[in-house]
Amino acid sequence: MDSEYAIQTHDLTKVYISRWKRREVRAIDGVSLQVRRGTIFGLLGPNGAGKTTFVKTLLSAVRPTHGTALIFGRNASQPEARRPIGYLPENHRFPTYFTGAGMLDFYASLSGVDASRRKKLIPEQLELVGLSQWGAMRIGKYSKGMLQRLGLAQALIHSPSILILDEPTDGVDPVGRRQIRDLLEGFGQRGVTIFVNSHLLAEVETFCREVAILHKGKVALTGKMHDLTAGKGYRLTVAQPSDVLAEELRARATSMAVRDGMVDFQFPSRESANGAVDLLRAGHCEIEALAPTTSTLEDVFVRTVGGENAQVRNA
Amino acid sequence: MVTFALIRDTFREALARKIFWVLFGLSTLLILFFLFLLRIDIVSGATATVSLFGRQTGANPDVDRLVRGVYGGIATFLYTWGMFLAVFASSGLVPSVLEPGRIELLLSKPLSRTHILLGRYAGNVLVVLFNSAFLVLGVWTILGVKTGIWSPTFLIAIATTTFMFAVLLAVVVLIGVWLESAAAATMITVALMIISPILAQTSLMMRLLSSEWSRNLWRVLYYSLPKVYEVGKMTLDAIQSRTFGGFTPIWTSALFGAAMLAAALAIFARRDF
Repeated sequence: MDSEYAIQTHDLTKVYISRWKRREVRAIDGVSLQVRRGTIFGLLGPNGAGKTTFVKTLLSAVRPTHGTALIFGRNASQPEARRPIGYLPENHRFPTYFTGAGMLDFYASLSGVDASRRKKLIPEQLELVGLSQWGAMRIGKYSKGMLQRLGLAQALIHSPSILILDEPTDGVDPVGRRQIRDLLEGFGQRGVTIFVNSHLLAEVETFCREVAILHKGKVALTGKMHDLTAGKGYRLTVAQPSDVLAEELRARATSMAVRDGMVDFQFPSRESANGAVDLLRAGHCEIEALAPTTSTLEDVFVRTVGGENAQVRNA
Repeated sequence: MVTFALIRDTFREALARKIFWVLFGLSTLLILFFLFLLRIDIVSGATATVSLFGRQTGANPDVDRLVRGVYGGIATFLYTWGMFLAVFASSGLVPSVLEPGRIELLLSKPLSRTHILLGRYAGNVLVVLFNSAFLVLGVWTILGVKTGIWSPTFLIAIATTTFMFAVLLAVVVLIGVWLESAAAATMITVALMIISPILAQTSLMMRLLSSEWSRNLWRVLYYSLPKVYEVGKMTLDAIQSRTFGGFTPIWTSALFGAAMLAAALAIFARRDF
């Protein structure tokens, strides 16, 4: 537990081989990733990028073909390495014969929490996730959002040092999402490492401090959220500018994109945007829209995994 | 603590399945039958009058023979129908734990895969041990009180039924982790139960089979597969105070069960989920 990193993978690769056709599929391919202790880390990627396989190798549910995965410096294949992990799977299937409290009791005991502590912790955890009235109810009666909250309580009950959460707010209503995010932020402030695998980019953007994007089994991009979304500016949308005007604006803009007869120019500052407006006015050209922009995580994501399809030309 | 939690979870899941309640209900019905409907009055020494549903049966049978006959009947019921129902009910207990969304969560806990599977296995065996003990001890106590005959050999049925179930459960577990199919696990295990009385006719088959290689093949099958029929017969022989021909069926079946369980553990340890 004295490692600087909560998660370290080196050249992690998983190759699935189909039984009959002997065809190889590289689910993850040489993934080397480091997640610092105490950070809130988001793992993103399009469908089939290898996110779930990556998470499963951290839990030793999938055996890597080669490479290593370490949890706080210990090989993830050792059972003891998984003791500090609190995990919420995507599409979890909790046995419906449990009550909410019974389910927490079972998973807490598997995590090594003794009976007297479980007795104290179970009502606390149910309260924490807003299910205190539902503890004695069979979970077959729970809604999807309630199951998600219960799953979260299960992941938290043994005071883990790292939370690995697969789509933690899936099926939860907007208010519930906010509550879960606030709850997790509280754990993050207390030094718990949080590793989130999610497709909700806006949520990851507001919640995570660091992010990695997997694409076709490889790490396509990794960095701090602040650095990745630093590209603020103004977008000026113009209807059919003349070639001369368009050329002049392109020289001042950081990027230009043509769509449906409109041209979008991206300017880095208010001054440069105002200068462009003056130029358009002088040229009697119609301005369709002018809006401040930030480089959202979605922009970063699309640029990273869908760059080959974007109709954006660099200025 | 962890092992206890795994066993308790298996108990919970077993009790959530109606078929275990059917098994338990049948056992309870048998116990209630002997408690309320069968009346045995000792007439003089070793003879008795037997009343069923309040009506006296014709002859006055030998009490000891009567009690041993009842023991034999109960042991046969438990060993055949009880075992079949238990195998049927248990066949889904391993595939259910391997379902996506459930197995990942179990594997994320600080447990070895061997621990998870053996915990499940032990829990399942204990469910059947509990039910067998309930039926056998219940009937034994009632007949003991009614007749004064306390024959401990009947209690062997608890051990042999649980033992053979443990052997067959190893097959269920192996098929479960390998194919993740409750239906396949049931079919293969029941096939082993059905084939057992045929394989037990070894001396007859040695005379009937013409070639040496076919006799050798029969011997291989006989010694390698579990001897469900012969262990059941041993149980009846013990209850009826008859002699039986050695413990080979026990240890060869135990070896088979151990091999199946080892194979299941090896497959489970290597699987990706």
